[in-house]
Amino acid sequence: MTRRSGAKSIVATIVTWSVVLATVFPLLWMVITSIKPQQELFTIPPMFWPRSVTLEHYRELLENTPFLKYFGHSLVIASSTTALVLVLGVLGAYSLVRFSYPGRERLALLVLFTYLLPSVVLVLPLYLLMVKVGVANTLLSLVIAYTTFSLPYALWLLRAFMAGTPEDLEWAALVDGASRLGAFFDVVLPQILPGIISTAVFTFIVGWNEYFYALVLVNSDSARPLTTGVMNMLITSFNIEWSLLMAASVMMSLPLIVIFVFLQSHLTRGFAASGVKG
Amino acid sequence: MTTAVLASPAGPRPFSLQRQYALLGMLLIAPTILVFCTVIVYPLITAIYLSLFSIYTPTLQGHWVGLQNFREMFGSAEFWTALRTNVIWTLGTLSLQVVFGVGTALLLNQNIWFRSLARSLILFPYFVSTVVAVLIWRWMLNDVYGIFNHALLQAGVVDMPVDWLGRMPNAMTSIILIGAWKYFPFVVIAVLARLQTIPPQLYEAATIDGAGVWGRFWDVTLPQLREVLVVIVLLRTIWDFKEFDLIYLLTGGGPVTSTQTLPLLVYKQAFGMNSMGTASTYAIGMLLVLLTFMVLYLSRVGRGSEPT
Repeated sequence: MTRRSGAKSIVATIVTWSVVLATVFPLLWMVITSIKPQQELFTIPPMFWPRSVTLEHYRELLENTPFLKYFGHSLVIASSTTALVLVLGVLGAYSLVRFSYPGRERLALLVLFTYLLPSVVLVLPLYLLMVKVGVANTLLSLVIAYTTFSLPYALWLLRAFMAGTPEDLEWAALVDGASRLGAFFDVVLPQILPGIISTAVFTFIVGWNEYFYALVLVNSDSARPLTTGVMNMLITSFNIEWSLLMAASVMMSLPLIVIFVFLQSHLTRGFAASGVKG
Repeated sequence: MTTAVLASPAGPRPFSLQRQYALLGMLLIAPTILVFCTVIVYPLITAIYLSLFSIYTPTLQGHWVGLQNFREMFGSAEFWTALRTNVIWTLGTLSLQVVFGVGTALLLNQNIWFRSLARSLILFPYFVSTVVAVLIWRWMLNDVYGIFNHALLQAGVVDMPVDWLGRMPNAMTSIILIGAWKYFPFVVIAVLARLQTIPPQLYEAATIDGAGVWGRFWDVTLPQLREVLVVIVLLRTIWDFKEFDLIYLLTGGGPVTSTQTLPLLVYKQAFGMNSMGTASTYAIGMLLVLLTFMVLYLSRVGRGSEPT
């Protein structure tokens, strides 16, 4: 019996891991390509493992392309969006869950509705708005635009987390004479901290990866984030340097890798609380 | 519900405190509402308004044309072709996502070695930037130096390198498959979370009744997954339908317009044809199609949304 279930679990392990490895193979191929010397790239038949490992593409990327500038822009945009959305989202979610006033339910439904709204519909009016206000082609314009999809998402996620924490402690603090806001900072915030981290991680990644708004709203290198910046490197280059682009892809995925290593549980938790479970 | 709890623990509270709390609640949500109105509600209304104008994109000058844009949209072959392409893409990629997603979730639900590592690795395609995904795939599908064509040649499946993105029906197949690769982890995670809550007794009972592996899947697993699958399908229908980045960056809508879905058509109208009014009309048309699914999703998820 044990023998048979042992054999069964070995088969399951092999099958499952084959699927997993096949799924992540493109990402492995990206890393391998990025550390291959240029001449090894264009051999026929292609070589799988690099014969020698080189970091020249990374050096080229950092020294001779605007990559670092784009990287900085993306960092500023994604973190500002995250900070803005978190402040608004935490206060808003607290209000939606723990207070009662007319229109509250309808508001929650509106949040969910806007969460599903296609950016294609909002982008043209937003573009006109940015031109009118005079912030077109700035980092700020992208922070504003990214709020359109991250704020509904953050509100929904934080609302689910907030609803999952017990009210008792908050009431105990109130009975002890704390003010509502005092109880919020001392009791509520620490309780939903995991939810805040999950939301922050999600918002950051989505902002970091965003392409469409960046394509439409920013048309100059002074505010271009990584996504459109790197695509521009592909389009404008005379002959495509795949190893350079793969190095850029690896570098672009760095925040993601950091998050995966250190904050993985928050990622999965955020998933569980998001729209699927409602 | 909240109101009841509000008053209870400290005994009867004065009415004014409750009103004070309601005010505080509204005060806390006020900044959010302000931002919502500025960046979502106002643009949404403007989008509808714009669809009634003819606007030249570079100068942003325009004039009122009323419902003319809509008449032209419904009479234009390009709109219906794009809608059809959109439906093919959505149906194709979504069904693959669900099949792969449920299958992989079942695999990952078993007792395997390094399970949590496998579970986090599978998420990578979903979280990686679409730009990165597109670059990798365009490199792998490169006709001369791509590893994909090479593997196929080596295996004897084809005897000439295949142009995966530049001709039909290859281009459509490629975007559908790459879309499935990118988004099936979403299904995996959602289904996996549900699988873990199925009581083992159900399986034991089915086994005693003589059900095999397939029998248990059809009679126990699938009915238990039904609810979550409906929500997943609704959400992913909406998201796949409005997908822009992946298709635009892989094929640009080509060859010619064979993979041009509605979001790409909106972009082309606005910035290729420089007619922003028509673009808005197409965007609204697309929203109308999506609205059915949005309402279905809202009625399903929004109904049970009241925090417990």
